[in-house]
Amino acid sequence: MAKLVPGLVKGLGVTFKEITKTVTKGAETVQYPHVKEDPAPRARGVIALHEDNCTSCMLCARECPDWCIYIEGHKTLAPPRREGGKPRTVNKLDRFDIDYGLCMYCGICVEVCPFEALFWSPEYEYSEPKIADLLHDKSRLGQWMETVPEFESYEQGSEVKVKKVPR
Amino acid sequence: MTAINDRRQLAYAAAQATDARVNIELEAEGMTLNIGPQHPATHGTLRIIVRLDGEQVIEADPVMGYMHRGYEKLTEVRTYPQVTTLINRIDWVSSFANEVPFILAAEKLMEVEAPPRAQWIRTILFELGRIANVSMFLGDMGVQLGAVTPMFYALRDREFILNQIEAATGGRFHPNFDRIGGLKDDLPAGWIEDTRLALDKMEYFCQQVEDLVIGNEIFEQRTRGIGIIPADVGLSYGLSGANIRASGVDWDLRRDNPVGLAWDQVDWRVWTHPDGDSFARYWVRLQEVRESCHIVRQLLDGLPSGPIMAKVPRVVKVPEGEAYVACENPLGQMGYYLVSQGGLTPFRVKVRTASFSNMSITPWLLKGTYVADVITILASLYFILGDLDR
Repeated sequence: MAKLVPGLVKGLGVTFKEITKTVTKGAETVQYPHVKEDPAPRARGVIALHEDNCTSCMLCARECPDWCIYIEGHKTLAPPRREGGKPRTVNKLDRFDIDYGLCMYCGICVEVCPFEALFWSPEYEYSEPKIADLLHDKSRLGQWMETVPEFESYEQGSEVKVKKVPR
Repeated sequence: MTAINDRRQLAYAAAQATDARVNIELEAEGMTLNIGPQHPATHGTLRIIVRLDGEQVIEADPVMGYMHRGYEKLTEVRTYPQVTTLINRIDWVSSFANEVPFILAAEKLMEVEAPPRAQWIRTILFELGRIANVSMFLGDMGVQLGAVTPMFYALRDREFILNQIEAATGGRFHPNFDRIGGLKDDLPAGWIEDTRLALDKMEYFCQQVEDLVIGNEIFEQRTRGIGIIPADVGLSYGLSGANIRASGVDWDLRRDNPVGLAWDQVDWRVWTHPDGDSFARYWVRLQEVRESCHIVRQLLDGLPSGPIMAKVPRVVKVPEGEAYVACENPLGQMGYYLVSQGGLTPFRVKVRTASFSNMSITPWLLKGTYVADVITILASLYFILGDLDR
């Protein structure tokens, strides 16, 4: 038995040190409902849709690995840019749904969008009691746009340009 | 070194033989015990059918495949950018390490090489993934022996590493950051400083584990001389990673085959242990976390500037051919054998995961051990069940 003591004492010393650290300096744990966690600006929380930029080109829906994006649209005539010109044909978005019950949060849709209509927001509080409510329609996806942070600047030595978020 | 190994093993075998003789005299009947499919010792589902004679295991038969998700087939109907999101989920504790070999195999076929900055960032994230994965093991091994405290410390300190991975890639567990020809994005400003702080915490954690677990006599009694894998048996079963290094085989793909990554640019060493028992496997992994911290620090200091993406067409088509690239995953050798027929999707992908080979030694290894040691030995082999069943 006596052989077992030194290591145990050493181990208890470690735990005791940790207890004093927790009591005096506070725990590392975030006390969630009272204190909100602060995810990194790049965190993939929820996808926001900037509807004006979307042309319903269907690229995101096709590239999605689990096909959780549903898009419908139609062509309409918009008034001409100059007076006396021809009316323009524009794509009007009827439906843009993302099913977060299926989404894998891979970010391929955001990446392939050629018109900068989709953005990541680090927001995470959108759990629902019913799985059907996880289908976000285009107005709900549009509301997330307010929570999208500005793109961060890059670390030294980088040659990538910092993009801007359309507001 | 081998002398110590042999002596220990002979003593172990002799003790087991005595016990067996007692059992024969008592005419004890065998009993079949199912460990699993659900068991707290496995973070997933694995079933081990153990035939017992008293306290001793006569026969052990692992039943795998409860979590088979068909990745090899799924990759055949996904385009190359989509495949990386899928293979993230093979070994969910260190996902970035899963992406790299696949991307490297595709790059090999396309004859593209990532720019140096991308290679260095890849290596940094790879090693951070290793730290996050192996620190999990360092805590988990304690839990299997009844010591819960190291697990809490491990979960707490791993969080800082995961925060760094999230800050760079956007995902804590599934980064999906690697692209053919480079990376998705560059590092955000201030990331290098924050990572150094996280590494400080991780090194402190390693010291704590050393005081708490390695120095503990009960831990030593439960692991020393238990589950010995001799080097030649380990090699014949295809063990890799820390499991084979703990048997004294100096084999590390990071040093022996640094495929397009920056390990050969920095100064580090491979840790081995001559004993090959559960304790050795724990000890080697602890040293590896420290070594990884050392590697990441050097890489952060010397990060080259430049672009992060080579010139790659927007629609990725990999030319016809086949390639095999293996990397030293946290669990061992992980390789992708990629066959392409020139289309948008791979024609065939064979995934060689480390856990599967590491698991295949269990019938040999568990034979003759005691029931109480079964869980210790399984935990010390360290397999991730997603990696095992794919």
